[in-house]
Amino acid sequence: MSGYTETQPLGRTATADGRASPDRSSAANQSHRLANGGLIDRQAPLQFSFDGKSMSGFAGDTLASALVANGVKLVARSFKYHRPRGIMTAGSEEPSALVEMRTGARKEANTRATTQELYDGLVASSQNRWPSLRRDFMAVNSLLSPIFVAGFYYKTFMWPAKFWEKLYEPAIRRAAGLGETAHLPDPDHYDKAWAHCDVLVVGSGATGLSAALAAGRAGARVILCEEDSHIGGRLLSDGGEIDGMPALDWLRRVTDELASLPNVRIMARTAVFGVYDGGDFGALERVNDHVPQPAEHQVRQRLWRIATRRSVVGAGAIERPIVFPGNDRPGVMMAAAVRTYINRFAAMPGKRIAVFTNNDDGWRTVEAVVRAGGEIAAVIDPRGKVPAAYRALADRSGLRVLPGQVVDVKGGVDGVRSITVATGSSTQNIDTDCLAASGGWNPNVALSSFHRGRPTWREDIAAFVPGVSPPGMIMAGAANGDLSLDACLRTGHAAGAMAAAETGAKGKSGNAAKAADEAFAIQPLWQVKAKGKAFVDFQHDVTASDVTLAQREGFESVEHLKRYTTLGMATDQGKNSNVTGLAIMADARGRSIAETGTTIYRPPYAPVAIGALAGHHRDQNFHAWRLTPSHHWAAERGAVFVDTGLWKRAQWFPLAGETDWLQSVKREVLAVRNGVGFCDVSTLGKVDVRGADAGTFLDRVYINGFSKLAVGKARYGLMLREDGIVMDDGTTSRLAEDHYLTTTTTAKAGPVTQHLEFCRQVLWPELDVQLSSATDQWAQFSIAGPRTRDLLINLVDPSEDVSNEGFPFMGVREVMLRGGMKARLFRISFSGEMAFEIAVPARYGEAMARNIMKAGEPFGVVPYGTEALGVMRIEKGHVAGPELNGMTTASDLGLGGMASKKKDFIGRIMAGREALMAPDRQVVVGIKPVDKARRLRSGAHVVPKGAIPGPETDQGYLTSVCFSPVLDHWIALALVERGRERIGEIVRICDPLRNEDYEAEICSPVFYDPEGGRQRA
Amino acid sequence: MRIACPFCGERDSSEFSYLGDASPKRPNFAVDSPNSPAEIEDAVFDYVYLRANVAGDMREYWYHGGGCRSWLIAERNTVTHEFKSVTAAPGAGAALAGQAGE
Amino acid sequence: MPDFTWETQSPLRKALVVGRHGAGTGAAGVTLREVRDIALVQVMARRGQAAATAKAAKKLFGVEPPTSPKAVTAKTATLIWSGADQFLAFAPHSGDEFYAKLADTFAGIASLSDQSDGRCALHISGPRARDAMAKFCALDLHDTVFPVGAAASTAIDHTNASVWRSADEAGEAVYNLLVFTSFSDSLWHMIADAALEYGLDAGHVSAVQ
Repeated sequence: MSGYTETQPLGRTATADGRASPDRSSAANQSHRLANGGLIDRQAPLQFSFDGKSMSGFAGDTLASALVANGVKLVARSFKYHRPRGIMTAGSEEPSALVEMRTGARKEANTRATTQELYDGLVASSQNRWPSLRRDFMAVNSLLSPIFVAGFYYKTFMWPAKFWEKLYEPAIRRAAGLGETAHLPDPDHYDKAWAHCDVLVVGSGATGLSAALAAGRAGARVILCEEDSHIGGRLLSDGGEIDGMPALDWLRRVTDELASLPNVRIMARTAVFGVYDGGDFGALERVNDHVPQPAEHQVRQRLWRIATRRSVVGAGAIERPIVFPGNDRPGVMMAAAVRTYINRFAAMPGKRIAVFTNNDDGWRTVEAVVRAGGEIAAVIDPRGKVPAAYRALADRSGLRVLPGQVVDVKGGVDGVRSITVATGSSTQNIDTDCLAASGGWNPNVALSSFHRGRPTWREDIAAFVPGVSPPGMIMAGAANGDLSLDACLRTGHAAGAMAAAETGAKGKSGNAAKAADEAFAIQPLWQVKAKGKAFVDFQHDVTASDVTLAQREGFESVEHLKRYTTLGMATDQGKNSNVTGLAIMADARGRSIAETGTTIYRPPYAPVAIGALAGHHRDQNFHAWRLTPSHHWAAERGAVFVDTGLWKRAQWFPLAGETDWLQSVKREVLAVRNGVGFCDVSTLGKVDVRGADAGTFLDRVYINGFSKLAVGKARYGLMLREDGIVMDDGTTSRLAEDHYLTTTTTAKAGPVTQHLEFCRQVLWPELDVQLSSATDQWAQFSIAGPRTRDLLINLVDPSEDVSNEGFPFMGVREVMLRGGMKARLFRISFSGEMAFEIAVPARYGEAMARNIMKAGEPFGVVPYGTEALGVMRIEKGHVAGPELNGMTTASDLGLGGMASKKKDFIGRIMAGREALMAPDRQVVVGIKPVDKARRLRSGAHVVPKGAIPGPETDQGYLTSVCFSPVLDHWIALALVERGRERIGEIVRICDPLRNEDYEAEICSPVFYDPEGGRQRA
Repeated sequence: MRIACPFCGERDSSEFSYLGDASPKRPNFAVDSPNSPAEIEDAVFDYVYLRANVAGDMREYWYHGGGCRSWLIAERNTVTHEFKSVTAAPGAGAALAGQAGE
Repeated sequence: MPDFTWETQSPLRKALVVGRHGAGTGAAGVTLREVRDIALVQVMARRGQAAATAKAAKKLFGVEPPTSPKAVTAKTATLIWSGADQFLAFAPHSGDEFYAKLADTFAGIASLSDQSDGRCALHISGPRARDAMAKFCALDLHDTVFPVGAAASTAIDHTNASVWRSADEAGEAVYNLLVFTSFSDSLWHMIADAALEYGLDAGHVSAVQ
């Protein structure tokens, strides 16, 4: 069950003697790879290429760490200015090192090199450059930087407005941007799944592991999510000592214990990206992003919806940059990231590393560099004093410690060459190829704040900590502002134990692990005020001067600042820039950071591919479908299908030689009108209405009465909404004293069932009525045409009387068919012909279709589709979906006379409102063109003859149109103002969308057999 | 989010659909009601259209259409989306109920 | 006069391809079976007749029908809770006999609706059955929450389904599904898709022994 079995928590380390990889050449080429250490597997060298250049790394590397090991500094060009950029961080917050992964249809833009695991054969390339990363012509944008400042687009491309879409936007998009999409369908599969637990633990560092262990031991069902491929969080980078053993040993012990608990599930490579109402979390598992392509039948990524009662968020903290000129040059990295590359990946980011830190944590990087045998060019700490814990180190190593600030970084496309440090009034240049900078740590408050919880400012650590978290969520460890290892272990354990207890777990959580409590001191330094481009948001190229410009121009609120400068709006969502940006804004306004506040946090925390959100539901699986009982029979006869709602219905049945749909439909209609045809009508909603009060119930639901309907009879019914507008129509048959079968339209089966249940359960609980959907139980066919009875005589048992007298119009009863099959037979007609509907249990649907064909063969029976069905209902003037449009009343449809005056029913009183009774309402009429060759199209507007078309002359529109094979011209149903008084009037039909304008005559909606003799024959 | 159906237990919210305020009571007027037409129309109009836009606790109709097909009455906070209670509509089961118990 | 024969057809006659599908070649992680030839009747107690319905059911089946989301197995049928004061009686198909027996038993105290053709019955088992089901079913199927005998009326891919867990086979959970017949082709594809990565053994069985 757990991902743990597939994902070892630790990579194989080098052998004790530091023996290099068997493939000496691959290790030798890795100019910046340390000989020893790291959680990489030196026995497993991997080849990869970046911008076409072949390199090697090891299993356990990320693409970023492999690039670092190979001494690659330049990996990207920036969004707006096309400035050279390198790798800044070692985690999912990376703003700069975005690359295009893979090629062809699997090409994926904007992949963070820091989260991409290395695999053999990996192909990556840089993006947003032309013709090459080193010689990028678009870097000219950098010279034009004065015009790319905050608000530039708003100010410049305002006029003329029509130029925006065609000219400005495409030009801007070409010049500025990130990677390019594959332009091909994604060949991989994605899926979605639910997971359930008592306690969800987010993050697997010291905090998360302690929480998971405490909750797991107590017996709670625990899910532990870790976005990295390895369990351990910062323990993998920072080491240290826990419970008297090396942190990595402790880590191995804890992961082993967690893996042994059946109630704990460890999910590595799974980033929790959002929290939703009621304790639901969204998480993205990158199942197969670490291999060239998923094995057959495997998914690339899986979206998890995790339902939990409690959550413990140990998401850690994110180191924040200091803003100084040149702080974006390749080789300027976060101090903790430098430590990660050295300790976890055995890759030394520079030959001569300078460290610029305003807090004690930066000194741990100094220590890591020294311990790994690297050279420290200088340590710049504006606080002026070496922290007590590092004095011995400074003395022993003879460190050059400068109490100042970095005011400039010099270098080229290959990265940093030197830095300028100001101490007091003097400046000095220091040669270095890597500057590790730390401005302090921002607790990762994202999940805590997704429900609009506002983080609060904590002065002692100069950072925002969680405010009010969503219900059931406990923030712990560094994510809650506890920045020491011991505090992480302690608060993680306490949170896990509390969360488990709150869900009813009764077991013992044991004791929290212990570590030495190291001090954390910081003196805030947000920005070094010196001349030169100093970046706040590295991914969107927002500089410190953009922030102050926004302030000068009045965009002072953090929400305005964000939108005016686009600070924090890139794919990294400002993980390492938002707080710095608002601190600079606070300074510019002369206010405190606490007063300035943060912007609203919104999910997703990390980018989620649309493919993962869609999961199974793409292409032919975009949505579920429903098949009729004769579907496969129809398909085998070559039927063309149409989606009607979720149903796939046969639209027509083309014969050999028919090339045009109209040809097939005409044939089908004429076959019915002159002989006999049949159509699968199983899609109509069927509701069993049973119980002693079923009749009373239907009386209240329909405008006409049903309680007096005789058993064995069917009646057409119309139901209204409470507001008096028509809801649905259909026939209802009384099968027994206490059993009615009500039919709904295909489209409204769901809503009508819900409405009927509301009436039964809420409005009239005193009635004895039971409802059940019978739609899928029956295969139902309409058999129509003057030869229907002949066909039926062949089909039913000879003892059955289907004569007009024996089975009159609107009769219903069970009959025996030849071959010993019971069926329900309804004498109802939608086509206007003599017709029956016949229903058998669905498993006999195909047999029924075959047997109708057999019984009707002597009379030339044809199957017909929904198109012919539609033509015949329009010819007959029957209303359907286009007329039951949610705006029409019973009398608009010409059915007002059906309403009973003897009983109350839903919608009765509201239907009587003046406006719904107004004489100038648009009502259903027929329309026929004056020029009989004219094709009608639905949607065309009706205006008086001679009038200029416009809103004030508009009198209605054509709702349903068809070519009438019996009349041999196009006809329409239309909703027309005072239509019934205007039969015979010539009107103007205007269709501005299709540029059509012609004359037509208003006529009766019943084009065919107005006396109705045919259906009663 | 999960909603606790009184019959099914906790279920994913996607199984439920929302109708609205459960407080308006449907007026019943027989065809021969002695009330004046204006009075009748006003009463029904209010029932059909008049709703308070509550920010806070509200009694609402929910339908467990993706489950047991029961109509439910939920007390929910419209600001926090917290469900305080969920009970069955009077006619949800087979129990004998008085007229329009809600 | 031509001969009329009445063969039955499965709604899965195209979708269901009998055999081993998906990843791997050994034992499949998921076994999926269509259960053919079923009888299914929805029994809904009339107003004030819940107790009488339960009593009549006890007399006919030898067990009380479930009053909460559970499935109860009797000698001749399985009774599956399907809503307040209603249940589904699931049995092998026997022509009209089963329905007729119920109609007789529940006359006047419960309303019936024949669903023998309205639903398609599926059987999901195998070591990865629960993993596959997690992809399309929002229920928590953990042993402590959904033990043998548990049942639920739920939604799968936006359509109603009844799910219940019958006795374990070879130490593994067995889940039963009733889905609307018209949706079954679509749902079969989705369920099979969910199972492919674990290896799928697809087939059909008859409820009639």
